[in-house]
Amino acid sequence: MRKEVFRMERVTYRENDILMLEDFSLNIWEGEIMGLIPVNSYGLNSFIDLLAGNPPLEDGYIYYREEITNSWKSAKRGNNRITIIRDRTSLVEGMTVADNIFVLRPGFRKSIIQPAVLESQLEPFLKEIGIRLSARAYVDKLTSFERIVVELLKGIVAGHKLILLSEMSTLISGDELRKLYGIIRHYAAQGYSFIYIGSHFEDILQLCDRAALMSNGHIEKVLQPREMETENLRSLFREYDKMVRGYLEHKKEKKNTGKYICQVYSEIEEMAEPLQFRVRQGECLVIQSLDNHIYRAMLQLLLDEDTDYYWSMLLDGKDAKIQGNRKIAVIQEQCTKTMIFPEMNYIDNLCFNLDKRIRNVWITSRIRRSVRQEYGTILGKEVFAAPVEELTEKQKYQMIYTRILLQKPEVVFCIQPFKGADLSHRMYIWELLEQLLEKGIAVVILAVNLADTLSLADRLICIDKDKPQKEYDQREFTSIPILAPWLHLYRELPRDGGRN
Amino acid sequence: MDDAEKRKMEEDKTLKKRVQQIIQKLHYISNRVLLLFICMILFMVFQMIYQLGLLLSGRGEVFLLLILIAGTILFAGVFWTKIFLPYQQSERMLKRFLDGYSMSDYGELGLPILTPNTADEIQKFDELFRSPQMFDLNKRQAQYLALQNQINPHFLYNTLESIRGEALIAGLDSVADMTEALATFFRYTISKVENLVSVEEELENCKTYFRIQQYRFGSRLQLHFDYREEEWEEIKRCRIPKLTLQPILENSIIHGTELKIGTGNLRIQFERTEERLIIRISDDGVGMDESTLWELNKKLRKDNTAASYQQPGEKGGIALVNVNNRIHLIFGDEYGMHVFSIQGEGTDVEIVLPGVTSDREIKNRGVLQ
Repeated sequence: MRKEVFRMERVTYRENDILMLEDFSLNIWEGEIMGLIPVNSYGLNSFIDLLAGNPPLEDGYIYYREEITNSWKSAKRGNNRITIIRDRTSLVEGMTVADNIFVLRPGFRKSIIQPAVLESQLEPFLKEIGIRLSARAYVDKLTSFERIVVELLKGIVAGHKLILLSEMSTLISGDELRKLYGIIRHYAAQGYSFIYIGSHFEDILQLCDRAALMSNGHIEKVLQPREMETENLRSLFREYDKMVRGYLEHKKEKKNTGKYICQVYSEIEEMAEPLQFRVRQGECLVIQSLDNHIYRAMLQLLLDEDTDYYWSMLLDGKDAKIQGNRKIAVIQEQCTKTMIFPEMNYIDNLCFNLDKRIRNVWITSRIRRSVRQEYGTILGKEVFAAPVEELTEKQKYQMIYTRILLQKPEVVFCIQPFKGADLSHRMYIWELLEQLLEKGIAVVILAVNLADTLSLADRLICIDKDKPQKEYDQREFTSIPILAPWLHLYRELPRDGGRN
Repeated sequence: MDDAEKRKMEEDKTLKKRVQQIIQKLHYISNRVLLLFICMILFMVFQMIYQLGLLLSGRGEVFLLLILIAGTILFAGVFWTKIFLPYQQSERMLKRFLDGYSMSDYGELGLPILTPNTADEIQKFDELFRSPQMFDLNKRQAQYLALQNQINPHFLYNTLESIRGEALIAGLDSVADMTEALATFFRYTISKVENLVSVEEELENCKTYFRIQQYRFGSRLQLHFDYREEEWEEIKRCRIPKLTLQPILENSIIHGTELKIGTGNLRIQFERTEERLIIRISDDGVGMDESTLWELNKKLRKDNTAASYQQPGEKGGIALVNVNNRIHLIFGDEYGMHVFSIQGEGTDVEIVLPGVTSDREIKNRGVLQ
């Protein structure tokens, strides 16, 4: 008889009187890896909150290991024995790996802590999954991958039978992701169950036994093991697929003959050779960092003025700096959180980068009024009246990308543009990036994982620790040795395309 | 709609009105009681501060202060857990009822009711909800859905037997087989009087029904069964309400696969856990859009009263709602049905039931009498 680890039975849940989950039903078997694909992220955080704790429900029942933990009638006090791993760490900084795993575990009763004993206790766990990690290392110094492994081990040691992992592909590189999949499968075989939240069916397909499609706070469909096929999953993303396919076919007919606008040379000590690339007008170049140190170094180069790494850039043949240069724009990671100024109104947010193009934009309100008039029809009149923090996620993306369009840069650096976005927002970001390309702006995307970037890319550069950079032209995408999202389109389309 | 149904609808409406009044009273009282509680706590805190002041000036008693602190904590704890929270839960519970949710487990909660009169009213509604008459109403509707008409069963069986005989004499084996299947199906639907049957019996009826449908659809329709061999012995003995699977299978054919171009696949999957029996009826038909799915699941969640049936202008999903209501009435509202679907990708109906193999284990056996 199969054991059910977790069940949500027709759960309806409100947060501050707003309906977040409605008729949410999902069950997870012992030793199962359940994929969760959010078509939109509505209710996703509430679902995670319900896994972690037991807030009062409007309707429905929640069971953990076949015992009721929460229902509309009553709720169990305290937190559930479920581990949740997401982009922000749950480890206590300033403490070691062993302390986080053993000492902070509920039920740890020892008064005298012996690091050597804890180290020897952790050793078999690390050996079992083939990970080399010092038990005495401080968690602040860990890479994203190591942090995820430590959180996972913490759950395993605490006896949590269900572990949720959210959007791992945006945090760690492809190689690390494959290692993580191995660890998940190893523990699934031992009877631990997993919920893996991922936006790409390629990830879900590689790892999960079943997959649930979540939309607007409910589960639309659960794909059974027999239905876990590429075709079935791809058909669920038909609209997006159609959009990208149309773009690629259109691109095939149009050859990019734009001049090389930007040239970069950088020396990053973790790389075997200096990083060099150049990009044409209207070209999309994706730089995939397979190593977290290199990725952090790249972030430093783009965002910090005082960086230890050597970096030189030629923009239109002239020496250029990124900071303070309005011919270069940087769209930061999770831009709806990092690139909005809540103390400013919508129009000021929109015109924020206009100062170099129109000198007196902040002196006279006439220019801002005319921007408002011109863009009112495109952006919607209502957005100008609303406080920027109250805008929808889509409106925030729209505002940031329109700000960039108004700035008219020659090149835009985007850092993981699709990170944290659900399917509908990913489609929208994709459209916004396409608009930039259509305007002849060069787009350089910096990514850890290829995710949706491949659907827009003209070229791909893969950089890894102690290895020379590897470059793929669009026609060579089919030879990329991993199952990346959107790769199927390049395999299906005739191989005579490409803008370069 | 007959007189009994009309009477039940009237009764439902009156009770709903009364529940509304009770909610208002509860709300009023819980707010006033909370105010009183705050006043008393403030008074006790003031007393504590006063005693502390006396103590610091050397005139107070430590013992008195400790008693005051302990008394305040005890009073606050008792008041909060025994008075305020239960009243709040009662209010929430009754609001749920007005929103259309089931009241079937109200008695189990042992929540406070304002007056004996109000308690009687709630009790009356609970009894009405769990009554065998209510169950009969649901069951009869299931039979109507299967037959659409009141037919004299013996006349029907005899006629079908005659047709079968004639067909065999004429060498029309397919007609004879179809007639036999039809007679078997009607016999199970109308004449079998038990309210609960085994999974095996219900599945046999599904197979019979599918045999009839195959004469219409031929190889365009395929039926598959999924279960773990080692669980089957246990699964097939599980007790489920009669006519649980066939109406859903019929729905899957009519609204799912019939409208699809090409072969339609129907699948009945059984899974058994320590506590539950999970039955999933899937089709790879046309599916439904998000709003239709939302409406259907809302009906399954909320339309629990007799009054919710056969509302003028209402259509779709009645078979499912009906099966779901019978499950709620017999096993309680923690069990029931849920629909998953994506347009163009098919529909899954998941039924969750307790894994019971004997009628004696059933929670609300009263409705079966």
